[in-house]
Amino acid sequence: MKILSRNYSLVPVLVVAAAAMAQDKVPLKTQLPKPLFVGTPVPLNVPNLEPPLKGKRPDFMIPAGSVNLAKGKKVTASDENPVVGTLDLVTDGDKAGDEGSWVELGPGKQWLQIDLGKSANIYAVLLWHFHSQARVYRDVVAQVSDDASFKSGVTTIFNNDFKNEVGAGPGKDQNYVETYQGKLIDAKGAKGRYVRFYSNGNTTNKLNDYIEVEVWGKPA
Amino acid sequence: MVDKLNRREFISATAVAGAAMLLEGCKSDANEQKAAVPKSSLNTINVALIGYGEEGKVLLESLLNIEGVRLVALCDIWDYHRGEGERYLQKLGNQVHTYENYEDLLAKEKDLQAVLIATPDFWHAPMTNTCLKAGLHVYCEKMMSNTIEGARSMVKTMRETGKLLQIGHQRRSNPRYVFTLNRLLHEAQFCGRLTAIQGQWNRAVKEDFGWPKKYEMPASMLAKYGFKDMHQFRNWRWYKGLGGGPLSDLGAHQIDIFNWWLGTTPKSVTASGGLDYFKNHDWYDNAMVIYEYPVESAVARAFYQVQTTTSAGGGYFEQFMGDDGTIRMSEDPAICAIYREARATAVSWDDLAQKGYVKAKPVAADATKVDVRETAALAEYEIPVFFNKPPHQPHLENFFNAVRGKGKLNCPADEAFSSEYVIHKANEAVAAEKKINITDEEVRA
Repeated sequence: MKILSRNYSLVPVLVVAAAAMAQDKVPLKTQLPKPLFVGTPVPLNVPNLEPPLKGKRPDFMIPAGSVNLAKGKKVTASDENPVVGTLDLVTDGDKAGDEGSWVELGPGKQWLQIDLGKSANIYAVLLWHFHSQARVYRDVVAQVSDDASFKSGVTTIFNNDFKNEVGAGPGKDQNYVETYQGKLIDAKGAKGRYVRFYSNGNTTNKLNDYIEVEVWGKPA
Repeated sequence: MVDKLNRREFISATAVAGAAMLLEGCKSDANEQKAAVPKSSLNTINVALIGYGEEGKVLLESLLNIEGVRLVALCDIWDYHRGEGERYLQKLGNQVHTYENYEDLLAKEKDLQAVLIATPDFWHAPMTNTCLKAGLHVYCEKMMSNTIEGARSMVKTMRETGKLLQIGHQRRSNPRYVFTLNRLLHEAQFCGRLTAIQGQWNRAVKEDFGWPKKYEMPASMLAKYGFKDMHQFRNWRWYKGLGGGPLSDLGAHQIDIFNWWLGTTPKSVTASGGLDYFKNHDWYDNAMVIYEYPVESAVARAFYQVQTTTSAGGGYFEQFMGDDGTIRMSEDPAICAIYREARATAVSWDDLAQKGYVKAKPVAADATKVDVRETAALAEYEIPVFFNKPPHQPHLENFFNAVRGKGKLNCPADEAFSSEYVIHKANEAVAAEKKINITDEEVRA
């Protein structure tokens, strides 16, 4: 009788917890830029390429109350003298693919980092490289850490650098073609104050372009 | 030295032995249009690039991959783009002199052998003519000019100066195009008698180009270089007097292939088009054109359409159709295909495959199930030549080889003029709403 009583009391807790978790998720909502196409389409010869998204991306659920923690936050980069633009363009809310909306880091391996100001639980990251042309940026890695130097406590949330070119370890994620919808990365609640992105040029040129980054989460 | 970052170029012939050698065999070894060129140090060709907009950037990326060529000067009237190019090249270890005005560039650069011109079309003729007269070889993007007279003047100056002038119809140096033309169309007579040609470039709606407000050019500067305002500067392709509209901007690629592959120009053109969608452009946004080509004492009609409001219908391609087979070509290999009619018996697929001219595509599981009321699907093969260079690079390489006296230009200005003349006539036909006849005499520069 005592045992039955204990089992019975667990059920309402699980049901309540499950209901609470289900009610606590909401679709990630963000404003998308207009599609913009520039120049002659270039045939892509890229291995392990993600199939193109057909139509609108399905809703991605994040905990209610999550906000874009990156908005207006400080940006640093491995290239302190960009080819064009300024680093603050990455978190200014402008996702347009037109001239003046992106910062262009120099050729080869580069990183760009956003300081969220305080540690946070991160559920989703949206990343817009130059998206006015069907490009593939090479060796894209996204990491989260509380360590500004990314030497300890690093969580990798995306990595398609299968040859370990940028030195963040070999990755298995697929290459993808840039579009106006940006790249959605499931961060799975990774905890950290800093978010860092690597790339190594793209299929059009050797440069590394960032239009906007959104980091959706809650302060830890 | 230019850093060779991410250089991944190669030519390969997948699953077909010897195809790469076939490419080598396709190259012309004629000694025409070679040029003696004053040597810079270590036989490096010093080059200037005029125009660093969308197309200039494309040319630069190819240029960076080419051995023995050094960019020494960059010119653009917009300091925003000019500075961008300078910083990029500096990061690659390449110091360049930058100029707003091309005449200043020519006056100050003393050790220069060639110039690449990637400016709005209405500037092509005066810039090209000035550079040729300054003793430089020129690679000029297509269209030669927004006017027939401008284009004709370029050919005249080329002839008078004896300098090389390559026009940027880059497909003429594309290894797949060269291979297919020489081996399949000509040698193997794959299509049999050509009876029809079809081409298109369908592109989705896109916003006009914008610009960062804080980097706007002063009105006086814009006026100095022929632009009414920043919008016109950024979107010159859509303005009459500056560019030739979408038939010129996009259609020139395919229509040039019509002329090149047929080895002739059409005898007439009929066209229709309209400014039906965009409200702030001069040029029409769509056009449909019919050319009539003389072929084997008969007529082969070529249909071409350019759409700037839809990407449906397969992008861009040229399709040559004959009574034995069809070849569909595109700069995008994914679009290319060749089909053979059941009646074709002169050359078998096996013969072509053994020669390395074609490669069979995998047959879908249900492909052989044909309703007796329908025509059986044509056998589909693909062209077994692949290359992984930027699309414009082979054409630039051809130019520099000719400058060194090691090859013939694949698209010299006089040939380009004949091809482009009929594109201008298509624009005239749209405006006149009638058929326009074209004579052999008028297509020659």
